[in-house]
Amino acid sequence: MFAARVSAARNVQRVARSFATAVESSGVKVAAVDNNGPTSSLTVLVKAGSRYESQAGLANALKNYAFKSTAKRTALGTVRESDLYGGVLTSTLGREHLALTAEFLRGDEAFFLDVLSSFVTSAKFTRHEFQEYVAPLIEGDAAAAASNPAILAIELAHLIAFRQGLGASLYAPSHPHFGYKDVQDYASSVFTKDNIAVIGTNVDQAKVTELVNKAFASASSATGPATSASTYFGGENRIESSSGLQTAFIGFGTTGAPSAEVATLAAYLSPSPSIKWSKGTSALAAAIPEGASVQSVYLPYSDASLVGLLVQAPTAAGVKQAGQAAVQALKKAASGVSQEELTSAVAKAKFAAASAADARAGLVATIGSKIFSGSDLSVASTLSTFDAVNASAFSKAASSLVSSKPTYVAVGEVGSLPYADELGL
Amino acid sequence: MAIGPLSVSLAPYVQSSKTLLKWVQPLANWYANASRYRQYGFKYDDLLVEENPTVQRALGRLTPREAYDRAYRLKRASHASVLHAPLAKDQWTKPEEDVRYLVPHVTNVVAEDAERAKWDNIVVKKH
Repeated sequence: MFAARVSAARNVQRVARSFATAVESSGVKVAAVDNNGPTSSLTVLVKAGSRYESQAGLANALKNYAFKSTAKRTALGTVRESDLYGGVLTSTLGREHLALTAEFLRGDEAFFLDVLSSFVTSAKFTRHEFQEYVAPLIEGDAAAAASNPAILAIELAHLIAFRQGLGASLYAPSHPHFGYKDVQDYASSVFTKDNIAVIGTNVDQAKVTELVNKAFASASSATGPATSASTYFGGENRIESSSGLQTAFIGFGTTGAPSAEVATLAAYLSPSPSIKWSKGTSALAAAIPEGASVQSVYLPYSDASLVGLLVQAPTAAGVKQAGQAAVQALKKAASGVSQEELTSAVAKAKFAAASAADARAGLVATIGSKIFSGSDLSVASTLSTFDAVNASAFSKAASSLVSSKPTYVAVGEVGSLPYADELGL
Repeated sequence: MAIGPLSVSLAPYVQSSKTLLKWVQPLANWYANASRYRQYGFKYDDLLVEENPTVQRALGRLTPREAYDRAYRLKRASHASVLHAPLAKDQWTKPEEDVRYLVPHVTNVVAEDAERAKWDNIVVKKH
């Protein structure tokens, strides 16, 4: 349908994808990919995730302050002008990065880079905006997280597994102790040139590079906040929650750069079927009781990974049964898998990585995880690591993972949910 | 001559010229003292007409401390009014304390309202 509409002249141009990194003279990294789609996007990725916050909830507050008044335009002006261009502005917070994204029609990159960069270089952080707009958003985020036991389980799992740094929550505490000045101080500490990367899709790399040079010229050249390397601890914890399903997270963590072996383990454990309405072919899928669900969780970060299974069921007994099956599957993965199972797991993990890079959000995440370390940005390099996974490497990685201290989190009726030793951990 | 936040004002014109300011300032100080609002513990911005949406929005932007002090000054001055006499001399507002704390917020609100009106009535032409 789109091919019929696009004129012949445009079909000829912009055929090649470009995966390139350029470190600008201003110190901001730029990468661009051109897929010939009708809409473009620009993402300003800042190393300002919850890992770097000096106080609990500051990163969430900074994310919610995005697109409010800057020296160049007010909050209303930003929204109205973006509306007239037909653009969509979003800000998302991860544990390592804050992403400010603008999606727009081809040709409008100058305006939207200006909108994104003016927040980074000249945001006003006024008191009344914090009170009227930002504080309700922070509360709303925290309330949404508190009513979702899966989110609670993952947040607590990170805290137990990594303690500081990656253990910090993505959400603010229910009664935050910071004001607008604290957010301003945090912003000035993280918005430095070394900490910023600009990733564009369907934009011309040379043009974006030139715009970035001008836009971020006034950004601070100081070094960003220091963070210590992650250490994995592990442990057990449980919290009461009266909304949603009974939930348990059973997982392990590793330190070091994300490895294809751990991604393969997550794919091997995953009981989700490839065909809709089927139960799935893995042994774990057959052992899960009716009504319960088990999801494989794989969360890679720059220097650590968390992998495991999220078990949910309407009753605590269901969680116990599904949890025991999950632990069995984990132990079986560590003890040895057949070549056929390994091949299908590698294929599943490779496909997951490749299809994530197909969509805009996933592509930005794939590039974003590598752009700050200066490694090769192409998707092919990510996928080629899966070709090196063989049976011995896989069993070595799996057994060392499973023999470390597990991270077990239970969310729901704390009196009846199982303990780690009851599940066989 | 410039249209101020709520009224016409010549102040920006006078302040732009050093000689004019030198002549007008002593007259302005005498007038401020003679109007005797300082003898009732007020700051000038306490006297701004607040019964309109603009100043109400600006009042919402005061810090809790500023809002509390403003209410206290009003209560104290009401008491002085009941007694039909100004306050004791040590409670009069000093000229250096008489800071325009509300007018910057009012100016911002007026500018924001004007911007909203501009965006609501904008005519977009595509070339």
